[in-house]
Amino acid sequence: MWKSVVAGAVLLCSATAVSQEITADDVIRKAMDNYRGLTSHGQMSMTIHRQDWQREMAMNTWTEGDKRTLVRVTAPAKDAGNGTLSVDGNMWTYSPKVNRVIKVPASMMSQNWMGSDFSNKDVSKDTDIIDQYQHQLVGNYEQDGHHVFVIQSIPHEEAAVVWGKEVLHIRDDWVILEHQFWDQDDTRVKTLRTLEIREMDGRNVATVIRMGKEDATDEWTEVRTTLVDFDIELPENLFTLSNLRNPR
Amino acid sequence: MNLTWRLAWRNLWRHSRRTWLTVGAMVFCNVLLIFLISLQLGSYQMMIDNSLAAYTGHVQIQHRGYLEQQRMRQSIPEISALADELRTTLGQGDVAARGMAFALASSRERSFGVLLSGVQASYEPGVSTFPGLIRQGRYLNPGDSEHIVVGAVLAQNLKVGLGDEITFIGSGRDGSFAAGVAVVVGILESGMEEIDRSVAQVPLAWFQQMFSMGEGGHAVVVRLPGLEQVPAALATAWTLVEKSPDLVVHDWDAMQPGLRQAIASDMASGWFMYAVLIILVAFSVLNTQLMSVLERTREFGVMLALGMRPVQLARLIGMETLLMSGLGMALGVALGSVLTWYLSVAGFAYPGMEELGAKFNMPGRMYPEVSLLSLLWGPAVVFLGGLLAAVYPALRLLRLVPVAAMRAA
Repeated sequence: MWKSVVAGAVLLCSATAVSQEITADDVIRKAMDNYRGLTSHGQMSMTIHRQDWQREMAMNTWTEGDKRTLVRVTAPAKDAGNGTLSVDGNMWTYSPKVNRVIKVPASMMSQNWMGSDFSNKDVSKDTDIIDQYQHQLVGNYEQDGHHVFVIQSIPHEEAAVVWGKEVLHIRDDWVILEHQFWDQDDTRVKTLRTLEIREMDGRNVATVIRMGKEDATDEWTEVRTTLVDFDIELPENLFTLSNLRNPR
Repeated sequence: MNLTWRLAWRNLWRHSRRTWLTVGAMVFCNVLLIFLISLQLGSYQMMIDNSLAAYTGHVQIQHRGYLEQQRMRQSIPEISALADELRTTLGQGDVAARGMAFALASSRERSFGVLLSGVQASYEPGVSTFPGLIRQGRYLNPGDSEHIVVGAVLAQNLKVGLGDEITFIGSGRDGSFAAGVAVVVGILESGMEEIDRSVAQVPLAWFQQMFSMGEGGHAVVVRLPGLEQVPAALATAWTLVEKSPDLVVHDWDAMQPGLRQAIASDMASGWFMYAVLIILVAFSVLNTQLMSVLERTREFGVMLALGMRPVQLARLIGMETLLMSGLGMALGVALGSVLTWYLSVAGFAYPGMEELGAKFNMPGRMYPEVSLLSLLWGPAVVFLGGLLAAVYPALRLLRLVPVAAMRAA
């Protein structure tokens, strides 16, 4: 019995030791850097699952720094060419059917993106969470030989955020295992779970992630990353409206 | 007529002026109640009709669950055919098919989220007052395709005028990207901010094509001549959708539950006023009967001495009140029905109401509802209140002692 108490104490000490070395802000920062890199280019497929139907699409994504993201749909043929550009918290969407670029108003950022369970804000992969939230390390555990940090992020008073809090489980190789979204009544609304992690371009990447609403278990959206390159040279005009309209 | 009734009747007319005054109070109260209740019920009828005529209609066929969740996929296949079938089967009222989708509307300068409706240009004016509220341009014509009618506030927000383009982006029924460009042909102004901010109507066929709806839509809307036809129309619609288990029929109460609640709360405040009126009349009856008992104390003493039982005396007072209240009710109902019947035919308008009605594409006069309920409810309560008021004077008689009563002043 003493053994287990001692072991527990040691474990506790080591846990606090680790958490003292690194702050919650650092963990979030590193996790964001890990999945965005300085620049990145990825190919992914998205599966939207509903009770009575399912739909798949494929897309290319590019990111640069914290605030620039471009998503372009490549399949199915009916939707190919549709794109979404996000720069500094602003978002535009382009559709070849009407050959027009439309700015997505701020009031629509929490609306779903093209019928999926991801919001426009989720798709812009904005790193607002870094500076608009107060982060706190609320726990940690071991999993598959990795240390996992549990971080609770509460938005600042003045932040324009719909969530009451977000809880992230981040592994010590900076892969986000779970990202929970809680509303202001402290109920969990949706959760982004990592289902598969693989090494790609020298980093561990969450290759299969699934966003699911808490109140409807048969409705989810899965994003499968088939290819990703980090820290590559991107054309200068990639994140511009004219490129959104006329891709080169 | 037996003796006691004759006695009661004659007693009433020993003070004809007093009796007439009390009866007059009852008649006045009854006429007022009949008029107010009929007007109130009539105005509810109008309130319901006006609210439903705006857009919702009396009855709608929808996909099961669409009312609560409003999901794109909860649609009705072959909706125009279903609407045609219902139109023929009903034989009265108007029927139109609609599709609804949430989309991002964008002009050159601004973007807003809107609920876009696909409507049948030839049938929509029958089920909704919106088409009659166009202030600039025109409503959709059956031949239109990439054309749109928007509310004035929405037009202002988007900074578009007649002939300008609005771009829409949303998701189709199959989850695909939906996009389209429509030219503004009409601007609708109802004066109600909420409506003017949200109305965006395009032809159903174009809507179906843009949102990959096939021949589908989301609601078959029925507008009937009046609320009385609702149950029959509901039944007819149900028989039509019997073969498709996914479809349901909703009546107006299910679609606009707030309407009945608003009426119930208004009704409650109305009844409070009526109660005050009825209590005042009851006190006037109490006053009359108490006076007539007190002034006849000596007479009652004599009658007791002659062998009449106190219970018979009390019954006498009861009969007098019954006769008086009955007279008040008969005259009140007669006068009240003539008045409200006239108004229900000729209509009734507050100053300025007709202009208001013209502006909102609504009827300019209101018609009190003449029904057994509106005619008899008020007078019946006044009648009962009068009888109740006679209980105290009658009870006093039970304790009357003959000798003391005869000596009373």
